[in-house]
Amino acid sequence: MALIHVPRPRNAMNPNRPVNALLKAQMLHLHDAESKLPVRHHTDIYINAIKTEGEAANYIRQVTEEIHAAHAAAAKKRAQPAPKLKRVIEIAAVADDGPVRKRARVAPNRAKKKAKTKLGRKT
Amino acid sequence: MPPGLDNLKHIVVLMMENRSFDHMLGSLTAVNPQIDGITAALSNPDTTGAAVQAQPLAEFQGQLDPDPDHHFPAVDLQIFGGNASPGRAANMQGFVKSYFNQRQDVGHSQKIMYYFAQNQLPVLTTLALEFAVFNRWFASIPGPTICNRAFAHYGTSFGRVDMDLLYVNEPFQSIYSRLINANPKHTAKLYYYDTTSSTMEITNLLQNQPELFGSYQQFLSDCSSGNLPDYSFVEPNYNDHDSDAGEEVASDQHPDHNIQAGELFIASVYNALKSSPLWPNTVLLIVYDEHGGIYDHVVPPTCTPDQFTASANDTGTGMPFAFDRLGVRVPAILISPWIPKGTVVNRVFDHASIPGTITKFFLGNYSPRSPRETSADVFIEPNGGTVDPTRNLLSLDTMRTDCPDFDV
Repeated sequence: MALIHVPRPRNAMNPNRPVNALLKAQMLHLHDAESKLPVRHHTDIYINAIKTEGEAANYIRQVTEEIHAAHAAAAKKRAQPAPKLKRVIEIAAVADDGPVRKRARVAPNRAKKKAKTKLGRKT
Repeated sequence: MPPGLDNLKHIVVLMMENRSFDHMLGSLTAVNPQIDGITAALSNPDTTGAAVQAQPLAEFQGQLDPDPDHHFPAVDLQIFGGNASPGRAANMQGFVKSYFNQRQDVGHSQKIMYYFAQNQLPVLTTLALEFAVFNRWFASIPGPTICNRAFAHYGTSFGRVDMDLLYVNEPFQSIYSRLINANPKHTAKLYYYDTTSSTMEITNLLQNQPELFGSYQQFLSDCSSGNLPDYSFVEPNYNDHDSDAGEEVASDQHPDHNIQAGELFIASVYNALKSSPLWPNTVLLIVYDEHGGIYDHVVPPTCTPDQFTASANDTGTGMPFAFDRLGVRVPAILISPWIPKGTVVNRVFDHASIPGTITKFFLGNYSPRSPRETSADVFIEPNGGTVDPTRNLLSLDTMRTDCPDFDV
């Protein structure tokens, strides 16, 4: 069978096209997914202000990449060996090294004064 | 076991967006009268009462703006012509009226009846004529994208008839979860175009199973290296955007995205499979999620009710919906070198047939599955059992060597 030629579209690209209902729904779904990510993976993009397909595409890309990054980070953490816990006997040995230095005691009146000053600065 | 089924190892589904059967393939009746497309007798009344005939005047872009309404109430009007009385009969006479509601422009509303001439769609029409075209593949719901795509992933929309999120913890697992959790384990992947297009299957998969996702570049690579999973679901590009490769034009064919960009994408998927070492072992189903509000003449049939009911409030029609009726007919084509040229399938299918077929083929008896999926017909006969030759579409004794090639 002969090779069938497939024509290419001309002037089809238009990232300024208004967002269609499907992309709006996709953004809402991604927004819901984004809200479940750790805060450091949030995009900080206000989706109600997105009007064009190009803006929608930018948001869709960022959230999709952040979802993947969040999963990758979780997988990396899962793969790391768990931190070693100090055994009780070691803690006891440290305790045997000598007396623990006591923290200098602050006079109760002075401590109260400090707290008041801090509060005062805040307001 | 027929050799086509015996060799089958991979099933690929490409789901496009929002075009009806008559709009895309209706012209083919003139070439093959077995294909149930457009005839001169087909028309819809406009709001003046004049009959508007279906005409081959569809354009690649810029014609269906605004996007024709295809939410539940609009599709109800399109199918029933505005008749809301008890015992009403579907007549497919409300498409022009429905489109008029959006712009109040009689002339513009008539464009909903336009369809593509065969030579405008060299990829889709060639594949339809060369392999198996389905005369009766319907959207699962007379409604929009998300709930219809849910049927392709879960065999149900869990009672939804809208674009809202689907939530996890439902009784029916996605086809992907079924496959990867099976014993023996199967493989499945959902390939979206790129991260800027992403997927429409967000809630249940992207959050929980990112390993199931791959890009279209990965699909191409998996095809050429012979590493396709057992089941692949391919999504087109849903938006215009720039990438490192240059301008990426939306290829989903959703109005008002360019039809030719979708043709190129379909050809690219087909070419990737045809040039893959897995070509003898793979079938490709090309199907559209729903009709997008565009005219089709075939009345959607009733079906087994799902176990969910959408309330009158949810449907927006004042009537509840028991998922006991299919949506409007969409283009669907099954491709394999084991399918005889010019096959026309007249059995009834909908998107619940996708997980239904994949499950039966790879997993055999599996439960739980939704009532809609359980009762949906399968387009590939299950592995292992006795094969009914009248139902088996991969029926050739030897593989075809005359399959088309596209210059992409």
